[in-house]
Amino acid sequence: MGGNPGGAGGIDALVRDDGRVHSAIYTSQEIFDLEMERIFHRGWVYVGHESEVPNAGDYRRRTIGRQPVILVRGSDTRVRVLANRCRHRGALVCENDKGNAKQFRCWYHGWSYDDTGRLISVHAPEGYDQTLDFAGNSLTEVPRLDSYRGFLFASFAPSGKSLAEHLGRAAGYMDISIDASPAGEVALDYGVHRTKYHGNWKLVGMDGYHPTVLHASMFSLRSKMGQASYQDPWEDASASATRHLDNGHVMLDLTGSRMHNLQEHLDTWEKVEGGPEYVRAMRAAYGRERGDYLLAQMGDPHMGVFPNLQLIGSHARVVIPIAPDLTEVHMFPMRLLGVPDGVNEYRLRRHEFSYGPASFVSPDDAEIFERTQIGMMAEADPWLNLTRGIRRETRAADGSIAGRITDEIPQRYQLQAWKDMMSEAA
Amino acid sequence: MNGVAVELLKSVEQFVYREARCMDEHRYDEWLAFWEQELLYWVPCDDTDEDPRRAVSIIHDRRAQLEQRVTRLKGRYAFAQQPRTRLLRVVSNVEIESDSGESLAVGSTFALGDWRSDRQTAWFGRNRHVLVRHGDGFRMREKKVLLLNNSGALGNLTFLV
Repeated sequence: MGGNPGGAGGIDALVRDDGRVHSAIYTSQEIFDLEMERIFHRGWVYVGHESEVPNAGDYRRRTIGRQPVILVRGSDTRVRVLANRCRHRGALVCENDKGNAKQFRCWYHGWSYDDTGRLISVHAPEGYDQTLDFAGNSLTEVPRLDSYRGFLFASFAPSGKSLAEHLGRAAGYMDISIDASPAGEVALDYGVHRTKYHGNWKLVGMDGYHPTVLHASMFSLRSKMGQASYQDPWEDASASATRHLDNGHVMLDLTGSRMHNLQEHLDTWEKVEGGPEYVRAMRAAYGRERGDYLLAQMGDPHMGVFPNLQLIGSHARVVIPIAPDLTEVHMFPMRLLGVPDGVNEYRLRRHEFSYGPASFVSPDDAEIFERTQIGMMAEADPWLNLTRGIRRETRAADGSIAGRITDEIPQRYQLQAWKDMMSEAA
Repeated sequence: MNGVAVELLKSVEQFVYREARCMDEHRYDEWLAFWEQELLYWVPCDDTDEDPRRAVSIIHDRRAQLEQRVTRLKGRYAFAQQPRTRLLRVVSNVEIESDSGESLAVGSTFALGDWRSDRQTAWFGRNRHVLVRHGDGFRMREKKVLLLNNSGALGNLTFLV
């Protein structure tokens, strides 16, 4: 597309209120560049979990948009996000993916920073005639970092909406993942599935319409779930819902179906090593009603926190845009604290069944995203149809916008939030 | 190496070559017949191969999961293998690491090229087979595959590796 996509009428014209969306938002390099600037280098972006950096000096390399950063816990116990770039000539100061370090040393000219980012030494300092301002040459800190129950989000904007305002109703639903632990705590220390596909990052989306079709091969393996009493949560007429929470955070809310299927879920835990103990611990920690609600959810809110975090199954999924047509997806299985080992092992093996590069579900998603990316190059008619269920949206008691599980509420409201952020000048 | 040892090594090599060709050609049922009843097919992830109960794996299949894998691949709806990835691998550096009489631990390396969607991808890795003597030949009790890039961002790995 030509012209300036961020200019007057540009973005607005691409995402229409009637559910029609121009495919350039998935294919254009100019749009992608603007997304980096206005979404990833400005808004709240998930960067990691406190359990990944439990001790002083623990660090993880991460990226926010295009920018390499270090998530590190300093010897003052504070967690920071620091630009991974020497203040001298710009080289990386941290090469490893993860580890523990007292110092980050640039191997170009020996500038060294402590685990709070402070410049502590340089090679041959006399060349600066004692004018080198050490305090003013700390690693650049990302100005805002905040946590929701251990999930860390950073923003390059020094001021603006707080994290609590940004998350809105989404925070309460993130609890479904965290409170799957009777101790109310999870750790992301099982490693990570890193995957990539040749398609746009927004295609990861959150779609309740596709599972029955695209994932037929997986459902046929699980046909034992087909007892008469079992309600398929992905059927249009099921008690499941699609939901827009706030600010583009969306959910495939399977609660209705899952509560209908509560007994099947409890039966599953009966057969897992440590499962019966887990059920008792959950009811003791949260009471029978909330405990059963959480057990039925299986720790899976099936939600997207815009723009780059999803909580699906038992893992935290991070969406990393590389180029308009290249995306990485990193999946971190969550370990529940305070449960028998057998419960966590069951969750890990169940995760591997569905997710990762050799699994039975997510590779089919990646495949269809690649076919979508190629198909969208047929721009003779560039308009996508995201209208499903647009006339049956309702406002739920908690204020969220809800529809049937197959409705395209997530797509429409993610792109509404996208449009709002993309239209905001500096 | 004496004549008996050379003959054993040759027969082990022939076995892993046959398995490789079977995987290259997507002959799923035939590949399943290479396995013992009790089995472990393990592809570790994230540069960690110590304890799969404490770390996520790319593949951690016992027989039930392996049979599901094969069932899925043979069906019409495993879209990540429709069409099938074209595969060619070279297995080399075959070494018998230990021989208990009943079973052998065998190390090998491989280079694997895949061609799909107009794109060629190179994979490299190290295999460790635990083979059980069975009649004149062997069956696999365990197979562990350490991919060179198992801590990297991986594309479609739904074929047999």
